[in-house]
Amino acid sequence: MSHGNHQQRLNESLSALMDGEASELEVQRLLKESDVSGSDLQERWSRYQLAGNVLRGEKVAPVDLGLAASISAAIADEPSLAEPAQPSAANDSSDAGRSRWWRPLSRGAVAATVAFAAVLGVQQMQSPQPGVDTLAEVERPAQQPVQSAPQPSGFLVPTLNTRAVSTAPQFVPEQRVGSPSPQVQMVPSPELMRHLNRVMIEHSEQAARVGSQGMVPFARATYGERPPE
Amino acid sequence: MIMAKVFRFTAPKANSSLLAFLLLAASLSPLASAQSAGQPPANSPPAQPVPGTPAPNVSSAEANAGEVSGDEPSAGDPERPSSGLVLPATDAETQALLAKMADAVANLEYRGLVTFEHVGVMETLEVVHGVRNGEQVERIRYLTGSPRELVSRGQDAACRRDGSPLSRAGLWSSSGLQNVQNIYHFLIRGEERIADREAVVLEARPRDPHRFGVVISVDRETGLPLKSMLVAPAGRVLERFQFVELDLAPIKDSDLQPQSSESRESDRSSHCGSLVSRWRLGWAPTGFKAVATRELADGEMLVFSDGLSAFTVFVQKLGPDMNYTGRAVRGATVAYMDHLDVKGERYTITVVGEIPDNTAQLVAKSVDARN
Repeated sequence: MSHGNHQQRLNESLSALMDGEASELEVQRLLKESDVSGSDLQERWSRYQLAGNVLRGEKVAPVDLGLAASISAAIADEPSLAEPAQPSAANDSSDAGRSRWWRPLSRGAVAATVAFAAVLGVQQMQSPQPGVDTLAEVERPAQQPVQSAPQPSGFLVPTLNTRAVSTAPQFVPEQRVGSPSPQVQMVPSPELMRHLNRVMIEHSEQAARVGSQGMVPFARATYGERPPE
Repeated sequence: MIMAKVFRFTAPKANSSLLAFLLLAASLSPLASAQSAGQPPANSPPAQPVPGTPAPNVSSAEANAGEVSGDEPSAGDPERPSSGLVLPATDAETQALLAKMADAVANLEYRGLVTFEHVGVMETLEVVHGVRNGEQVERIRYLTGSPRELVSRGQDAACRRDGSPLSRAGLWSSSGLQNVQNIYHFLIRGEERIADREAVVLEARPRDPHRFGVVISVDRETGLPLKSMLVAPAGRVLERFQFVELDLAPIKDSDLQPQSSESRESDRSSHCGSLVSRWRLGWAPTGFKAVATRELADGEMLVFSDGLSAFTVFVQKLGPDMNYTGRAVRGATVAYMDHLDVKGERYTITVVGEIPDNTAQLVAKSVDARN
């Protein structure tokens, strides 16, 4: 009975924390509970975050809670740097209290950072912008953006590579629906290469006539041309 | 008591880290929110198709090769002027800049050195633009990599009928501009100096996910685009074309002659074609109109443009060996290949353009024989 009440209060506090409306008392209650071994509070917190991400339409990687746990364990096994300096006897009760309270917190913080970084990394690779996931934009192979020094703000500034590369198109054959298409570098037949080269040139030259982009389509049209073999 | 003291330490800490957490999450998609915030539903064209669901009714008229319909659903919308309130660049301002640019691109003689980048690779080019007997002559020569050169003549000669949607002038006419403003947001992003000249940075941000954005730095004095970037969602720059040096002196005839043995001549004066195609698109992204149709030795090509972006649909009989399905990407250009079997004949469909991959795929799947 009392246990059930406690659990319910915790759940409410956790929800409040998610919404940023937790009172100091509730935060304290949660922190206290998070230190109790066997509590699933941290897991629940992760699940709530995940649910929040999904609700906001953000893409999330399947978060392996085991990863955080194992990192946590690894950190716990690590001999503390601060400990040898401290007197082992806990004669100063405030010190002991502090270290008892801080340690799991910092452990959790490190683990959370790692887990969050993992999620972030995947998100950015997948789609940095929710709502455009209808585009296969992200799957476009080798489509590293180009950069310049003075860029209007808001544009990604990747590295520029001046190595000479082949002007041959990159191929991504159609995959089964649902499976993320890996970057397949198939060996195209000469006929296919000729065909693609031809249609790209035809397109660019025609686009130069209908658009108002000046020289750009001509530059595109000439780009992939190869000396006659 | 001791506990309480510790709590006072930890509670603010937990709160502030949570805040940082949320801030980080919010900053993940600044462009997305900016984009959606600037997108008043009232302004978006009424018949805008939902990505992934072809809307055959929308563009069956647009697919009429050559005879482009004037009754584009959004073009004559009387509700339009209200959009001036939300566009950071006013309609008049944008229109003036675009018109100036279109004029400069067609009528100005210039030569210059240019950098052209994509796929993280940069090349340099020499470009020459001359006007002879009212026709544009362009010469482009790559100065890096394998020698490549193109001389293009005779442009617009047969296509320059007033108001014809096939000509550049037609696309940038007032109704064309209106159309372009229905499908892109125009923003003035500031100023910058390119090739020792002052330029106004104009951004065209697409209102739907079926085209890329363009950022053009327009020369303040002449209206010539000094730099243009093709921008994918989330601000990824796919391609950048930028002058390093610009010379506005009149072009001598000798400058328009090929400078290398690798030069290719392109003379298309007879090719602005308005052939009635035997193919139609079941779906095309809003605003894309058929602007040219040409007969090829083995099929047809249909060119579609929304005023800024363009894609071309090739329908060809290439034999059974050409059975690749999927896309090929070179620079900012994607080619999506597919097949269509009509009355026992196999046709290869290739959609080529500077458009998102999925859009190319949707267009390719929507190609059908006209009855």
